[in-house]
Amino acid sequence: MTIKKIIEIKAAAEFKPQSINTVAPLAGAATLSGLSNPPPLALYIHIPWCVQKCPYCDFNSHESKHKNGELPEATYVEALIKDLELATPKVWGRKIKSVFFGGGTPSLFSPAAIDTILSQVRALTPLEYDAEITLEANPGTVDIANFAGYKQAGVNRLSLGIQSFNAGYLKALGRIHDDKQAIKAAELALATFDRVNLDVMYGLPQQSLADALADAKQAVMLNPDHLSFYHLTLEPNTPFYHTPPSLPDDDTSAEMQVEIENFLAQHGYEHYETSAFAKKGSQARHNLNYWQFGDYLGIGAGAHSKLSYHDKITRETRPKHPKAYMEQALQGNAVERESIVSQDALGFEFMMNALRLIDGVPLTLFQQHTGLSLITLEPAIREAQQKKLLVIENGYIKPTLLGQRYLNELLQFFLD
Amino acid sequence: MKNIRNFSIIAHIDHGKSTLADRIIHMCGGLADREMEAQVLDSMDIERERGITIKAQTAALEYKADDGQIYHLNLIDTPGHVDFSYEVSRSLSACEGALLVVDASQGVEAQSVANCYTALDLGVEVTAVLNKIDLPSADPDRVIQEIEDVIGVDASEAVRCSAKTGVGVRDVLEAVIAKVPPPVGDATKPLKALVIDAWFDNYVGVVMLVRVMDGTLKPKDKIRLMATGSEHLCEQVGVFTPKSLQKTSLSAGEVGFVIAGIKELAAAKVGDTVTLAGKPATEPLAGFKEVKPQVFAGLYPVESNQFEALRTALEKLSLNDASLLFEAENSTALGFGFRCGFLGLLHMEIVQERLEREYDMDLITTAPTVVYELLLKNGEVVQIENPSRLPEPSRIEEIREPMIVVNLLMPQDYVGPVMTLCNGKRGIQRNMQYMGRQVMLSYEMPLNEVVLDFFDRLKSVSRGYASMDYEFLEFRAADLVKLDIMVNGERVDALSLIVHRSNSVYRGREVAAKMRELIPRQMFDVAIQASIGANIIARETVKAMRKNVIAKCYGGDITRKRKLLEKQKEGKKRMKQVGSVEIPQEAFLAILRVEDK
Repeated sequence: MTIKKIIEIKAAAEFKPQSINTVAPLAGAATLSGLSNPPPLALYIHIPWCVQKCPYCDFNSHESKHKNGELPEATYVEALIKDLELATPKVWGRKIKSVFFGGGTPSLFSPAAIDTILSQVRALTPLEYDAEITLEANPGTVDIANFAGYKQAGVNRLSLGIQSFNAGYLKALGRIHDDKQAIKAAELALATFDRVNLDVMYGLPQQSLADALADAKQAVMLNPDHLSFYHLTLEPNTPFYHTPPSLPDDDTSAEMQVEIENFLAQHGYEHYETSAFAKKGSQARHNLNYWQFGDYLGIGAGAHSKLSYHDKITRETRPKHPKAYMEQALQGNAVERESIVSQDALGFEFMMNALRLIDGVPLTLFQQHTGLSLITLEPAIREAQQKKLLVIENGYIKPTLLGQRYLNELLQFFLD
Repeated sequence: MKNIRNFSIIAHIDHGKSTLADRIIHMCGGLADREMEAQVLDSMDIERERGITIKAQTAALEYKADDGQIYHLNLIDTPGHVDFSYEVSRSLSACEGALLVVDASQGVEAQSVANCYTALDLGVEVTAVLNKIDLPSADPDRVIQEIEDVIGVDASEAVRCSAKTGVGVRDVLEAVIAKVPPPVGDATKPLKALVIDAWFDNYVGVVMLVRVMDGTLKPKDKIRLMATGSEHLCEQVGVFTPKSLQKTSLSAGEVGFVIAGIKELAAAKVGDTVTLAGKPATEPLAGFKEVKPQVFAGLYPVESNQFEALRTALEKLSLNDASLLFEAENSTALGFGFRCGFLGLLHMEIVQERLEREYDMDLITTAPTVVYELLLKNGEVVQIENPSRLPEPSRIEEIREPMIVVNLLMPQDYVGPVMTLCNGKRGIQRNMQYMGRQVMLSYEMPLNEVVLDFFDRLKSVSRGYASMDYEFLEFRAADLVKLDIMVNGERVDALSLIVHRSNSVYRGREVAAKMRELIPRQMFDVAIQASIGANIIARETVKAMRKNVIAKCYGGDITRKRKLLEKQKEGKKRMKQVGSVEIPQEAFLAILRVEDK
């Protein structure tokens, strides 16, 4: 990037302090060789409300308390559309390959609201004809009419936060649904949508290996095309972190992981990312885009974006609190912070995503999506190879089995 | 000269020596109120924080006594810890009197006893002072009885005071005038001045604190240090009030400083005699000896590129600490570092702390060890300071370890536990004496047992009531073996120990077990073995951590995930990589966490 360009950004920051607060130092962004083509683009839409907050959750979600009707649905939809309108110049002309409604609990919104949003997306952007459009739903807020309505609006994939099929663990996790609702919601989703993901967790408070496997069996029995199995993590700023429940020991939860992976493999689910499993051809395209270091425009409260330009890659965030977001977005000021990803950070960020994929990514993808030469990472790659955490074969860079298990150790090589 | 009084204060740590010194200085107008900083004589931060005196300091004061005369008082502050007992003896030999300050509620402790005996041996007049009489728990009568029982000096006229409130401090000074004899000496005789202390000043070089015994010293005199024979031109003399004050001369009986353009502290040894090159004294003053370090440990920078910085820091520290020895050594496990010699454990701790605090060094310290004397098969006698340097057993005829005499003083209730502790440390009881409420135990003990953790253990088994003092006795042959620790098959030289055969197996097992607790789980199993010669006597395994991976990552906030990984990486930086195993700093001191059988 030229110095002139940076001065321009700084000048912009002075005029509009709310939209650009930080600019990476000159050294970090200096020698991007430039992107010949921008990477694929995805759209993320955040719906920030939940009926109640789960004690393990650190996502940007806010308790709605009043249930559906009383959410400021209309205002929020209006804010989202305004946000999108203002953002489109940044991605002008670029096709949107996938849309993801995440939360919070997007299924708290009415099909009409989702329909309005998607119509505007189509009107304002070139949404690809066969784009994957996913909506997250909570088994406790499901009704059959809504599912049909979402489908009508254009949603073609549903992701259900099942977490467990066991009433005891659901209670321990503070979920609003029970085992029966979990199964019913999954069956309903599967009856409505061709593509369904079930989110399940293991390593739950006092969970036994047998119970973790029972959840895996139940999930497979329902036969969705995609499954996510997460190891429950105690995230900072959550009630579980402050008063940790009694969790299975490392050996037990590692056993769970191994057994679940084996079981899913036997039943035709390919393990393609740290926590994701899919039937052939059913990988989540929207998520793959993150892991392949593609671009994403995130709109809604607290949403993050990563956008590439010919001379820089930026990240932006929107105000976290729904009220603040709506106010700012409606005033035409949805972006709270924008920063340039420094060259030093790009290598790490790319690997942090790409090495989650079991098959890795083509070596050429690095230059395509960062504008940097892979040589910049040469010492780190060599060291990681020596430690048998990483391999390069057939033009792909990918983690070894060891590298998958100890991904954090592997990624540390890419920190300066 | 009849109005000069040279005295020092003997006291156990915390019995209020520095506070009393402050009070006396204040009373004699040595410093204005605004200059008074608590414990003015303890000028190092560490001294003030820990409440101990490391370097001897002094104050020349003027006091108008009740008899209407002005007296010149020289207060020589002494270090209060066993590690610095030589400095104490030098300070005391510069005085005619000493105040034995005893906490009126806690009573006598071993350190005071030892120093008091040193004073009596040197012919110094000891006057008992009961401090802290303002405390509700003060019991002066009992403590007076104890002083008489334990130390055997007449304490019936002990002065009672509170340095904190100021009560009785004037009585203390009156007692100094009345009881401490004025110095004797002849200002016309050839110069003899005792070096009480010396330190390095960045601007003027070495500053020596001296007590002139005979003769007179003036600027422009050419002086000679009798132990080293080096000659220097005297540039400045003066006294501390405790601010420095230049004078035209220092004469027999006086205490003051000498600056003579000396560049290296090693040239000005504590205990040496200063005389005039032109008109030298025939005999030096008695009692000079070279202080030799007794405790050794390896100090290694955590990051190997800090080696030179560590050398610079040690050089700077040794400018002002002639008893700190160091030489570069190379450990296969820890890389380049220094083997350092210290006077004792406190000295070691202080050096370590100063390196970390004042020089910002990140250090790995190996377990403290002692000097061993080896009689080799070929008749040669050698000394080794590092257990890993022990030659092949086949070449050794005999290993001799340093033995010390430890005097322990404690209330009766704790005699049992203290004896158990000493026996566990291979101690041989020499004496036990009931002195009123207190008991004095005397043990012969191997120094290597004491340097490990004896002091901490003693404090814990006696709930802090036992105190100790020790002196070197001799090197004595013992059945000692080298205990090696291997991590994933690789011998870690920095963890080698010399231990007695009788507890070698137990210690080996315990060290391996502690290491297992201290080494974090890694990507692979880590085997820890203890061996004596070719025999593996213990084996422990740190099971591999099963995984280390972030479960969810979908675009979103990457900075937090990055921070998590940075934190993990930072944690590793504080560890030392031995082979492929990351070993945390504290694991190198695992032996200190081993309980006795």
